[in-house]
Amino acid sequence: MRRGTHGAVSALLALCMAAPLGLLAQGSDPLAQLDATTRHVVQVLMDSARSEGLPTQPILSKAQEGISKHVDGPRIAAAVRTVFLSLRGARTSLGAQAAPEELKAGAFALQAGIPEGALQGLHKASHGKSVTVPLIVLTDLVTRGVPSDTASNAILQLWTRGAGDADLLGLPKAVGQDILSGAAPGDALLKRARTIPLRPPGKGSE
Amino acid sequence: MTEPNRNTAALLAALALLFAQGPASAQLVTRFEAGAVSSSSAGVVPFNAFSLTPDVRYNGRLVDFAAHGSAWLAGNDWQFADGDASATFTSPTRKHVSVQLMADASRAYYDAVNQNDQVEARARVHLIFSQKGGMWLESGVARPWRVAVVSSVDVAGAGAWTTLGDATITGTLTNFSFTRIAAADDSTGTLQSCTALADPGSCLRQSHFSDVQGSVHWEHAAFEVDAQTGYRFGDATDVTDDSRRWASATAVVWVSPEMALVVGGGRQPANPARGLPARNYAHLGAMFAAWPAMSSGAVPVEAQGSGISRFEIAAAGASLQRVQVRVIGVHRVEVMGDFTDWQPVAMVQRGRDLWEALVPIAPGVHQMDVRVDGGKWLPPPGTPTMRDGFSGEVGVLVIQQ
Repeated sequence: MRRGTHGAVSALLALCMAAPLGLLAQGSDPLAQLDATTRHVVQVLMDSARSEGLPTQPILSKAQEGISKHVDGPRIAAAVRTVFLSLRGARTSLGAQAAPEELKAGAFALQAGIPEGALQGLHKASHGKSVTVPLIVLTDLVTRGVPSDTASNAILQLWTRGAGDADLLGLPKAVGQDILSGAAPGDALLKRARTIPLRPPGKGSE
Repeated sequence: MTEPNRNTAALLAALALLFAQGPASAQLVTRFEAGAVSSSSAGVVPFNAFSLTPDVRYNGRLVDFAAHGSAWLAGNDWQFADGDASATFTSPTRKHVSVQLMADASRAYYDAVNQNDQVEARARVHLIFSQKGGMWLESGVARPWRVAVVSSVDVAGAGAWTTLGDATITGTLTNFSFTRIAAADDSTGTLQSCTALADPGSCLRQSHFSDVQGSVHWEHAAFEVDAQTGYRFGDATDVTDDSRRWASATAVVWVSPEMALVVGGGRQPANPARGLPARNYAHLGAMFAAWPAMSSGAVPVEAQGSGISRFEIAAAGASLQRVQVRVIGVHRVEVMGDFTDWQPVAMVQRGRDLWEALVPIAPGVHQMDVRVDGGKWLPPPGTPTMRDGFSGEVGVLVIQQ
């Protein structure tokens, strides 16, 4: 009995000591919880991104997100591969001078199924302005069911006619409310787009 | 090391393990109720008193502690009345299953005659279908003192809950079984069935009864209502007529985030396992709630179904952002995103419906999700959203320079 108690106490103490060590180990290697194959895929893709001058953080972040959401290894591998390819596609569309945040937003848009042509259209119309917010709003609208070409044209027109970031960021919520009220997603966007006051390009367009 | 020292070390180590969840998840809430209470047992003149009822809760990630008590001012004398201290361990939900272990020590005080103490332990296995409903099975044991019960009270039961709009509806079935000392014959002189004679005038009798209870908790804006009704099954020797049916209700109106008016009343059934009679009661009072201060750097269904009515984010210093969520009637809100390396961060309750976290978010584009009561990770309302590649969605934040 005495030996049993002693053993139980020892096991408990060992558990207490092992738990923080385990946390420390996870802290030093954010991919420690992945199986070997998935981990290898993530590391190879991060190496490829690094060698191509693409940001690696979105790839690592997608793997961490999958781990936290208890997604299995193959689906995490597929998701990080999509992120890598979309980052590469975003740079092709937005140009080598695109900022990391623009690349991330461009990658979001490609992941949502928006064609590269739409990204190129925004890039050509940017005249040095960041395309980050238009791309994020475009991604949201397509996710909500607005047809890709309708959303791309509407956002391009609004943006080139001087709509600011705040105007654009207000669209998703408003369109979402109309969709919940029964409006067709495309119609909801066109209706809401008409309510945004437009300014001449280059004046107060953030 | 001596044996007691080893046990103390083991206890401290176990506590350290439980609290190693980190201060990020800690939540301390205190409440204090002051008001008038009136109660009466059947056929007894009502007992009126002014009552003070403090209530303290500590909610950790896995372990919750709660303690409350009451003191009555009857005439010129203060009387310490009910008291209760409990600890609950709740495991994380995995594949819709969660386990709860509960320990509780309580003192019940009706009057100078009807008062006793009890310790209790229960285990529950929850099956959570979604954020909209679930069920549980439970088993436990209680040991009352200073009452004519000579065995532990075995408790077994089941329950189910569902949410309908702003209301949560719960149904429970609980069976109690214990051995008590009873009169050897009833008032007509008929000999009662006994498992053994305690003495010539009394016997040990196996008692059991089952309670079926339905309850509703409804919250909307500044109003909260709790109502319950029940029926007790059991033979006449275990269940008195005045405890067959019962009903009670309490309404709370919050006049500010820290203060509410409370009114309630109803019928409380007898508790044979604790020798407490049925009683009617009414109370009217004011409740004061204190929420923890947010110190710098301290961090602990479907989109429509998450219940989050508002999401806000604002700069809170050079590198911190203050994330605020308004959601009512929930116990835990967590946030995670690429800025936390997708590690959940528990938000701290700052008001009845306000939850807050201070998190370091650098300027730029970020993805994030919010989770309520361990449910599905969802994008915060009002933010642009996109699919996450894992059959879910994330919100997108743009933090300006």
